[in-house]
Amino acid sequence: MIDLEPDEEQVEIAALARSIADELVAPSARDAEYAAAVPDDVWLKVFETGLVMPVAEEHGGGGVPGPLALLAIAENLGHGDPGIASAALWHAHAALLVGAHGTAEQRSALTRLATDPGARSAVALYEGFGRGPAELATSVAVEGDQVRVRGRKVGVPFAASADPLVVVGTDPATGAVRAVVLPHGTAGVTVVANPGSLALDATQLGAVDLDVTVPVSALLGGPDADPAGLLATVQRLRLLTASTAVGTALRAVEYAGQYATGRIAFGRPIASYQGVSFPLAEAMMRIEAARAELVDVTNAVVADPGGDHGTAVGQAVSYALAVAVQATRDGVQTLGGHGFIKDHPVELWYRSAATLSALDFDPLRDPFQARL
Amino acid sequence: MSYSFTLSRPLQDYARTLREWSTTECRPYARQADEQKGRPENWREILDTAPIPLGRADKPELGQVPTFEDGDWITKLAFYEAINYGDVWVHPTLGGGIGDLVVKALGTPKQVAEWYDPIQQRGGATAFALTEPGFGSDTSMVATTAVRDNDSWVVNGSKMYCTGGAFAEYVVVFATVDKELGARGINAFVVPRGTPGFNVVKENEDKLGIRSWTTSLLEFDDCAIPLENRLGWDVDHPENSVGNGYGGALGALAFNRPNMAALAIGLAQASIDVVTPILKGQQAGFTPQRWSAVERDLEAMNATLERGRRINYLAQVTVDRGRPSRSLAAAAKGFAPETAERVIRRCIELLGPEGVSKELLLEKWYRDSKIMDIFEGSGQVQRIIVGRTLVGGLAG
Repeated sequence: MIDLEPDEEQVEIAALARSIADELVAPSARDAEYAAAVPDDVWLKVFETGLVMPVAEEHGGGGVPGPLALLAIAENLGHGDPGIASAALWHAHAALLVGAHGTAEQRSALTRLATDPGARSAVALYEGFGRGPAELATSVAVEGDQVRVRGRKVGVPFAASADPLVVVGTDPATGAVRAVVLPHGTAGVTVVANPGSLALDATQLGAVDLDVTVPVSALLGGPDADPAGLLATVQRLRLLTASTAVGTALRAVEYAGQYATGRIAFGRPIASYQGVSFPLAEAMMRIEAARAELVDVTNAVVADPGGDHGTAVGQAVSYALAVAVQATRDGVQTLGGHGFIKDHPVELWYRSAATLSALDFDPLRDPFQARL
Repeated sequence: MSYSFTLSRPLQDYARTLREWSTTECRPYARQADEQKGRPENWREILDTAPIPLGRADKPELGQVPTFEDGDWITKLAFYEAINYGDVWVHPTLGGGIGDLVVKALGTPKQVAEWYDPIQQRGGATAFALTEPGFGSDTSMVATTAVRDNDSWVVNGSKMYCTGGAFAEYVVVFATVDKELGARGINAFVVPRGTPGFNVVKENEDKLGIRSWTTSLLEFDDCAIPLENRLGWDVDHPENSVGNGYGGALGALAFNRPNMAALAIGLAQASIDVVTPILKGQQAGFTPQRWSAVERDLEAMNATLERGRRINYLAQVTVDRGRPSRSLAAAAKGFAPETAERVIRRCIELLGPEGVSKELLLEKWYRDSKIMDIFEGSGQVQRIIVGRTLVGGLAG
């Protein structure tokens, strides 16, 4: 039965995330960018809300929000600032994976993440080349009581400091998705120096080369982990990142819309020109469509973790990121010259959406259109 | 050959040489120029390495850009694309801005002799100040005032996005002498640097891109200039006045629009040419289907830049033939810059996170390119102009 009413948890969590985004995250966006780190006080306050550390109570956390509540958190924090939101959420992704699929011993280590605001963890997921999680070239090979991990990961948050770094790859013997939990400093993890990026500096993105041999106990969930369940959760991480971008897109459109109602040209507010208002209206339409798709696909993944959701997730992620890229672009365009200077935040959103779009891009899903 | 889009061989050769020089000698300084928000300190030495004349304002003895049978404005298109292919920092270092060109377009013979000719002979930086904090596209909203006070014009107001405004030897400032007259009251005034009341509030804005361009915020606070500094107006012989110049200024802007489109094409082509070999080196990482998609994207991007070039040529041929089309100029400016943004972004996406890293210049060019659909008339304004050729003043 169709039921489009969010439940109480989803509503409350979304509202909390939005208030944190408005009051704390958005005002700190520039500071986080200049420092290439989320300011400690901001991180601490976001951390204390429990929104971004999905850890069960038995491990010292405040509980794991439901899948749709997590989507709402991502969107609303992304509405505040995509850089701070991504830093917090990508740290949370490691806890989410370990909590859902880790062995008892791995899960017990979550206590540190849940209680130490200084902790930074990450999931090394993306490889470029349009690869979805089922196609990852990073190999996680079980060799007796050891596991060997080889490959190159890109777009890794906290690349130089993540502890643990959860690396997602595939088992060359079976083709199934596997992950390993690597403590900081594991031999064979080589961080490729990154002089900085177009945006999202607070997430300290980098590439990591891996040639690691660790005890088999490092395998997330152990040697008998359920690959289908793991794949389903990894797919949800992609959807969460796309949701962050949707939040940023919405903020850009709202900001541009407000500007357009006050800016006068040729005798009237520029919002009264269709050339100005229609791109923003297009963005609003597409944001609604993108958010609905993220919710629908998340539900499908959760309902049937063993199913093949690669196409649906790929479509949803590709669409949401493309919408965000265009909406933030139109945000700058609406402000014109004022959008091009740092007095307004639209240029930051423009850079951030393009950065997110580059992380998870598949040329098969979104051919270049010579549409002009 | 009639009805051909092929440039003459000499112009092709000139443009190729310029492009190669800009790539090998200038591009290595691109990151530095972006970070330091200015041209490299050794810009003169870098320009000295050019094997062809660039038309440098600081060293006119090295020669102007040659004349080609294709026409001067077509030549400019090839020139702007080729020089910007290296990086955006290069071309503003060549000229001294466009203030002197406005003098040439709007001034009386005496004014041209005083402010235009010397710049042509000895070089020098000049600037053009039209945009204000309160308006951009609607240039009839000029709020800066020039009020006559005996032997002076007293200028008051703010001007922003004034390229080179902080160091130009004079700025051509657009101000209204009578707000009741609307657009007809807008005049251009030569305001020399150092005039009391001419203040540089911000030498360079903190911008998304083109950070190496000096984009100044200026303020005129009871800034008194001689009567004869009003362009097109002969104080002693009013019958010799040539008009207020407002339309002329916009006309001059209109013909520069395809040049800005050419700048955008230069950056987009550079992006494609940077990513293509990298992607080819990574081909083994792609599935065959995805590699086909990558090749198709590269092909589509190259094709659409060619479309942009053709519209540019269509527009500027009309200028070279003395029958300039504002509509075609607007079509050219409306097409390529937005297309270039999408091309550069796609180049980034095809590379993945490596594409956004500052290791490469793609992220910079993505930032740089955004202004090209905004300055000298936004894409929206260009569409209004094109629309008016179809439906007249109803377009809006």
